[in-house]
Amino acid sequence: MAPALSPSKTRTRVLRRALSTGALALGICAALAAPAVANPIAPDPAHSPNAEDIRVAYWVTLIVAAALAVVFLGALFVALRRFRERRGASPRRVTGGTGITLRVAGALGLVAVALFVVGVLTTESARKLEPSGPDGLTAATARHAQVGVKDVPQPEPGSDEPAEGAPLVINAVGQQWMWRFEYPGEREDIAEVFSYNELVVPVDTAVLLNVRTVDVLHRWFVPALGGQVDAVPGTTTQTWFKADEVGRYPGASTMYSGTGFPAMRIWVRVVEPEEYEQYIEQRANDLTEAQGAVEEQNREAEE
Amino acid sequence: MTTPTITEPRPELVTREVPRKGIAWIEAASNGDHKAVAKLYLGTAGTFLAVAALLFGLTRLQLIVPDNTMIQPEIFYRLLSGMQASAILFFAVPLFCGLISYIVPLQIGARGVALPRLHQVSYWLYAVGALTFFAGYLYAASENPLAPFAPLAYEEYSVTNGVDAWMAGAGLTVLGFLCWAINMIVTLHTRRAPGMAWRRAPIFTWAAAAISYVLFVVSPVFLAGLTMLMVDRRFDGHFFDALEGGSPLLFEHLAWFFFAGVHAVILIGAMGAISEIVPTFARKPLFSRGAVAGSLVAIAVLGVLAYMQNLYTAPLAWGVQYATMVVALALLVPVGLVLFNWVATLWDGSIAARAPLALAVAGIVLLVIGLAGELMTAVMPVAWQLENTTAAQADTILVVLGGGVLGGFAALHYWLPKITGRAVGEGLAKAAAGLIVAGALVFFVCMTFAGLEGQPVDVYRFYEGTGVSAYNLIASIAAFVIAIGVLLELGNLAYSYGNGRRVGHDPWGGSTLEWFALSPPPPHNFDAVPDVRSAEPMRDIREAVRARERAYAPPKPLPRSEPAASGADRAGDGPSVA
Repeated sequence: MAPALSPSKTRTRVLRRALSTGALALGICAALAAPAVANPIAPDPAHSPNAEDIRVAYWVTLIVAAALAVVFLGALFVALRRFRERRGASPRRVTGGTGITLRVAGALGLVAVALFVVGVLTTESARKLEPSGPDGLTAATARHAQVGVKDVPQPEPGSDEPAEGAPLVINAVGQQWMWRFEYPGEREDIAEVFSYNELVVPVDTAVLLNVRTVDVLHRWFVPALGGQVDAVPGTTTQTWFKADEVGRYPGASTMYSGTGFPAMRIWVRVVEPEEYEQYIEQRANDLTEAQGAVEEQNREAEE
Repeated sequence: MTTPTITEPRPELVTREVPRKGIAWIEAASNGDHKAVAKLYLGTAGTFLAVAALLFGLTRLQLIVPDNTMIQPEIFYRLLSGMQASAILFFAVPLFCGLISYIVPLQIGARGVALPRLHQVSYWLYAVGALTFFAGYLYAASENPLAPFAPLAYEEYSVTNGVDAWMAGAGLTVLGFLCWAINMIVTLHTRRAPGMAWRRAPIFTWAAAAISYVLFVVSPVFLAGLTMLMVDRRFDGHFFDALEGGSPLLFEHLAWFFFAGVHAVILIGAMGAISEIVPTFARKPLFSRGAVAGSLVAIAVLGVLAYMQNLYTAPLAWGVQYATMVVALALLVPVGLVLFNWVATLWDGSIAARAPLALAVAGIVLLVIGLAGELMTAVMPVAWQLENTTAAQADTILVVLGGGVLGGFAALHYWLPKITGRAVGEGLAKAAAGLIVAGALVFFVCMTFAGLEGQPVDVYRFYEGTGVSAYNLIASIAAFVIAIGVLLELGNLAYSYGNGRRVGHDPWGGSTLEWFALSPPPPHNFDAVPDVRSAEPMRDIREAVRARERAYAPPKPLPRSEPAASGADRAGDGPSVA
């Protein structure tokens, strides 16, 4: 401790040193501890590239936020322990000027800028639709991309062939209190193939979801396959995912939509492309059969 | 002891008869004095905190085991709606309104508020609004948790009249906030004591200014939104009806603008109060007054502008989304500066571990953790993952508990001796602070883990096998602990209000002018309004008194020329004017 310094400067220096050492130590601890105790503090494992981007943003912000909180709380408790009231002691009336305020504000500003950069990079990466892989289905057509997804492969102008790696376009329509999924593909027997609450998609295939609603606001959320997207009346919002593994991924609507809202759960069943085609075929036959049965009933009722 | 004074004795009006005092509760309800109105605010806000704590416990009781059928969904959502409205609209904002109404005119050395009748009207609008809201529970209450959103609030989706009661009740209350804000803005600009420049104004006064302006800006917006919603719901309007060319997102904008303002009000109110408490109990001035005052104003501006971070998942233009992210992340700077100033003030102080400081520290702990969580959800992809799951909701609950509840309790402990002239029990307060912090931290951890598993907010049931059963069980128990802590401290405050140990006018050695007034202050607040020369006028007064005592020489015996009944002695044993 340099004798030339006034007590206030020494104190400030101690404060600064305590703060910086604490920050460093805690940052390292947090970084080391994060993967080790990953299970409860980690979101569900990602199974789609955009979900991976979200995980990156999550871990970076978690470490930064936790480090800031721990540094501050550590300094607070050190201060509370060290400077308990002593009889007869009258504290020096130290106040800070513009210099230290600007330095603290500058440091915090840098953290904010860094988080912004991470946010923009991960957002841009998550928005960018990745073309279907070699193991995926390639027979679907991409129509157009709206707000929410970019770099959707477009077919050649004037060509009927789908673009290379084009996504499978599926409508996810929310209603009180279920999800209806409308699959692409033109058929002679029925208008469209659809299913409720369980969405079946091929693996390694880019799936472009048109999220819509027929009544109130809903929100699409399957944690393993990307972030939340609102379903807004009168608008189509888009999101996408490309599942990397066969499996069944749970999700739910996260926007309150009335008293039956907890029932708005979602399951995305990811299957091999052949199985997907079989499923669509089976589903179409089932629907045609059901439609036939209804027509039959109607005829009987008329007679 | 006769005390010397710098003021001339003022001529007093003498009437033949002193008006008779009316019935006590009518006097209390019709009194235009800012302190009487503020007491009504504080009492009503405290009552609704108790209501919110009970409803919180009830809703968590339903969520204690998976697939619980104890409470029907409709009843559950009515309780949840009542809980959220009570906690936010009828407790947190009115609590800070009441504290500011009582303390700030004293802090700025005013004899009253500028528009006392408007001030009174603001309270009655709030009280009638809350009554209207709860009148809905006599038949069928609103089943929309935070607020009825379009189009869910339309007649075809919300058939009961509860939504109308919600809109009318919230509308009256918010109109009350607007009236309150107008009065406080005028008071702050016109009623400051001589020498009380803004640079010398106490931090809580700065907080009051920031809060008044926030409410002045956001309240009309929400009122407009509610009016349009009412027109849509009852009179075939199409403001938010997508089928007729309206925009459902517009209502989300209007509502979130208001609720972001409310969030800022809670944060600024708590920060303002804590920034008064920390220096008092560290026996040191605030490290940098300018930085804290500026930060509070910055939080008011940025906090309201960042409202669109609640719309990260909505189909908005990307430029708007990124601009929102800039504003939301920029909040880190002022919030961090305030926190830094608290630690720097405590550093090297002489810290008296009294109950107000204990409550304030408890509040700071919850605020810091909650705000760190909110910093995470300011980054868009993280919000896509966490928003509307219990993880993000836990952050907000921590900010409300740390700022509104514990920050409010700290402020009440600090200032109740001024309001009643009585101390508040410290042991119970510290126990309650411990219960609330322990409960809140456990609740936070469990709800965060459940949210990471994907548990949505506002569910009346969760399903077996989704991996959140244990988290919900522990969170429910923690919620009961929080509720018990809150009720314990409310009981402590209520008991001490009439039965506390009598204390003097300046029990904590504060440095602002409210401690110069008597406890409780007389209707005109001050016999003599001192000339303010610094940011710590009460400290100046104390030092002047000390200097006078040091310079005191035993007088030569004088004949007692003046009787002791002169106007200057009316302060009795009050503090002397130097």
